[in-house]
Amino acid sequence: MNCLRYPATCFIHKLGRGHRDKVQQFMAITGSSEKAAVQALKASDWHLEGAFDIFYSQPHIRTVTDSRHLEELYNRYKGKMLVVKNEGSQDPYVDMILVDGITLLCNDLQVDPQDIVMLVVSWHMKAATMCEFSRQEFIGGLQYLGIDTIEKFRDKLSYMRSELKDEQKFREIYNFAFGWAKEKGQKSLALDTAIGMWQLLFAERHWPLVDHWCQFLQVRHNKAISRDTWSQLLEFAKTVDLQLSNYDEEGAWPYLIDEFVEYLTENGIVQRHQN
Amino acid sequence: MSAQKKRTFKIEAFKHRVELDPKYAERTWKVLEHAIHEIYNHNASGLSFEELYRNAYNMVLHKYGEKLYSGLVTTMSGHLKEIAKSIEDSQGGLFLEELDRKWGDHNKALQMIRDILMYMDRTFVPGNHKTPVHELGLNLWRDNIIRSGKIQTRLLDTLLDLIHRERTGEVINRSLMRNITKMLMDLGSSVYQEDFEKPFLEVSASFYSGESQQLIECCDCGEYLRKAERRLTEETERVSHYLDVKSEVKITSVVEGEMIANHMQRLVHMENSGLVNMLVDDRYEDLSRMYNLFRRVPDGLSTVRDVMTSHLRETGKQLVSDPERLKDPVDFVQHLLDEKDKYDKIISKAFNNDKSFQNALNSSFEYFINLNNRSPEFISLYVDDKLRKGLKGVSEEDVEVVLDKVMMLFRYLQEKDVFEKYYKQHLAKRLLSGKTASDDAERSMIVKLKTECGYQFTSKLEGMFTDMKTSVDTMQGFYANQYSETGDGPTLAVQVLTTGSWPTQPSAPCNLPAEILGICDKFRTYYLGTHTGRRLTWQTNMGTADIKATFGKGQKHELNVSTYQMCILMLFNSADQLTYREIEQATEIPAPDLKRCLQSLACVKGKNVLRKEPMSKDIAEDDAFYFNDKFTSKFIKVKIGTVAAQKESEPEKQETRQRVEEDRKPQIEAAIVRIMKSRRVLDHNTIVTEVTSQLQSRFLPNPVVIKKRIESLIEREFLERDKNDRKLYRYLA
Repeated sequence: MNCLRYPATCFIHKLGRGHRDKVQQFMAITGSSEKAAVQALKASDWHLEGAFDIFYSQPHIRTVTDSRHLEELYNRYKGKMLVVKNEGSQDPYVDMILVDGITLLCNDLQVDPQDIVMLVVSWHMKAATMCEFSRQEFIGGLQYLGIDTIEKFRDKLSYMRSELKDEQKFREIYNFAFGWAKEKGQKSLALDTAIGMWQLLFAERHWPLVDHWCQFLQVRHNKAISRDTWSQLLEFAKTVDLQLSNYDEEGAWPYLIDEFVEYLTENGIVQRHQN
Repeated sequence: MSAQKKRTFKIEAFKHRVELDPKYAERTWKVLEHAIHEIYNHNASGLSFEELYRNAYNMVLHKYGEKLYSGLVTTMSGHLKEIAKSIEDSQGGLFLEELDRKWGDHNKALQMIRDILMYMDRTFVPGNHKTPVHELGLNLWRDNIIRSGKIQTRLLDTLLDLIHRERTGEVINRSLMRNITKMLMDLGSSVYQEDFEKPFLEVSASFYSGESQQLIECCDCGEYLRKAERRLTEETERVSHYLDVKSEVKITSVVEGEMIANHMQRLVHMENSGLVNMLVDDRYEDLSRMYNLFRRVPDGLSTVRDVMTSHLRETGKQLVSDPERLKDPVDFVQHLLDEKDKYDKIISKAFNNDKSFQNALNSSFEYFINLNNRSPEFISLYVDDKLRKGLKGVSEEDVEVVLDKVMMLFRYLQEKDVFEKYYKQHLAKRLLSGKTASDDAERSMIVKLKTECGYQFTSKLEGMFTDMKTSVDTMQGFYANQYSETGDGPTLAVQVLTTGSWPTQPSAPCNLPAEILGICDKFRTYYLGTHTGRRLTWQTNMGTADIKATFGKGQKHELNVSTYQMCILMLFNSADQLTYREIEQATEIPAPDLKRCLQSLACVKGKNVLRKEPMSKDIAEDDAFYFNDKFTSKFIKVKIGTVAAQKESEPEKQETRQRVEEDRKPQIEAAIVRIMKSRRVLDHNTIVTEVTSQLQSRFLPNPVVIKKRIESLIEREFLERDKNDRKLYRYLA
């Protein structure tokens, strides 16, 4: 057997069943070649997620996108409802993908607009606000992801979904969500929106106290949420156990979280044994 | 024939040794031995010192020192044994005397013997490591007399018995005691300690233990302490008379231990006579005694101090929570001052101005004064009362004294900023109603507050005084400016207040009577003419008016009323009867104020210049008011209802507190920023501590509020959390 001449076949035969499955999965998700798949998987010690990271972070592997296609895509979705001041001039305000465009996009992607994957997409695009993409955000984001057609976009979705399972990425996406979901020009996030986002996010990364948290806020706080509170909540959910036994009163938690702990104890939801 | 030998003269020693005939040694010894006998038999006068000395000298010289020494030992011991017997045989009370006498004799004999044997003492003794004669004599005395079986116990028992008798009131022979104990001391301090002092202390301990048990059952605290003190004095005296001076501290500590240390708790807490009772009744002598006795034992003073502290805190707590007391703020504060005075006196008269007691007093006051969150308000009311009238006729020094005492209470306050707010309100009312009794006293108080809290505290207060003064000047200018237009019209006295210096009062405008309006406008024109860019707003809820009124039978009275009341009364110049609604409409005075004014004009005996129908106490919307022709008063000048500073009503109180809390927020933030700017990175708890300590001269910040302020500063990007340690904060330049 001359392995040099039939490298792919050679590799496949030499892999075990489990590895073979992974290679196939990888290829399906990334659309890469078998060789690239095996390379990436080997480099990540046969962990799929790690392999994805490696694959996508290697600049020379990045698929070159066709900028013409990207323009076409953008134009398909960009805002059609116009209040054009001067005929023929480019009104920068409208040169964006707005709600209608996004609905259409989701349709094309066969994805519910409420699906959390759209948040991940927005994150990749570094979108400033929800429900709109600027030209730079859309095109730049897709370039980065190596997408220039709807099919490729669709294919990428499951990878993006998987990114939520990664601790570090989840945290980035979570913190990104604050700035993205709040009103432009506001410093804080409206309570209703915050609650919606929390429900969405903590469906991905289960936190049993999320419902109590939302209820508590509606009953006791009823005001907007600050960025610090938002980001510290994730730390709280990650580090403090459900019996609150390792909750440290001197732990510099935001006062809202201190009040939440009080609320839980007062209402008997959690029995704290004081050490 | 032999040559003649040349011979030089030589003097040679004897070629044969001049031997001291051993018999000679024996003979010499016998002489000395005999001498010793004679000495002990009080027959020394027949002896020749020189001869004896020479004999002793020769013996030593001829190497018979050993014989001499041991002979001495034997002879002396022999005599001492006889002496012992005679002492043992002495009867009862004569025992000590006999011992004393024999001791004296022995010392004399010893002296002589030593003199005789001085050569031996100096040459033979050191070289042969023997005990010197004098010491030898003492040791032999010790061993043969003092430590002799029969004498030892008897001696100790006798001594202890005598001491016991003296303790129970008998008189004993102190100089004899002195001699005996001195003897023991001379024999060596270990003899004194072993043979006397140690057992003495043990016996004393059990004596005092018994006595203290007895006394504590039947005496009250003061009596007990008196007795304990007496015993201590007694023992000290005993030591000075017939014991070794080093025994003093030992015996006193036995007494202290048995009588005081062992019963401390019981004494201090004794019902009806313990420490608390003494404090309450100001029993300085008893307290002083307790202090002096307890300071001698470990934890004595801390016991006293702790009981005093908890009593003080308890009574203080009751004082500040007693609703009856709180009804009269001035009285309340007076009680606090009296309590402070009382304890200051106790500490100075009975507790030796002990600093630790001072500190306990201060911390107790600080504790309970702050239990009641109205304390700042009440203290301000007290000062207000004094500055209004309370200090009339009081000398300048006494004024200072009162104010200084109030400042002491002020220092205890944790919420000094609340006090500041109230003081401002009360001062404003005083100044505007002209109720200050003494300008000097007012200024003195400001100076004291400034010294205590810094210039920022008082700058606004001083602004108020300035406004008052400036207003006077302005009025002078105004009237100088007026041509003779005033004539019959009302005279106006205006106080112009700078907003910002004075506590803000919302003032709803009311309709001034035409005559007043006229002159008010004139003033406004004059003022704005000289001060451009300013805005004047009449504060009709303040101010007074003097009105001349003529009643039914022609009686004239001068009524002193508030501005609102003036507006109401002037209406009656053009109408004899007015309903409540008509008055309300005409004056536009806010309803609650209007009702109060009408009540004071119509419902108060002696001040009812108006008549109301129906005659009820409350004002209803349908009531009708009439000018009361029948009004009479003894006084020509009648004053109707001035607003004095009163305790705030509930809603007013809430409002003030709210404002104070709001004012605190920026102060806390400023402190946080200051601290973070210099430290750059700090953890949460340290920030809280630092902020608290920076602000403590004004108020005690709530840690939760500090946390909220930190979060607000994070929000506004003055600070951020450290990326790795969420408990750390960083300053963002």
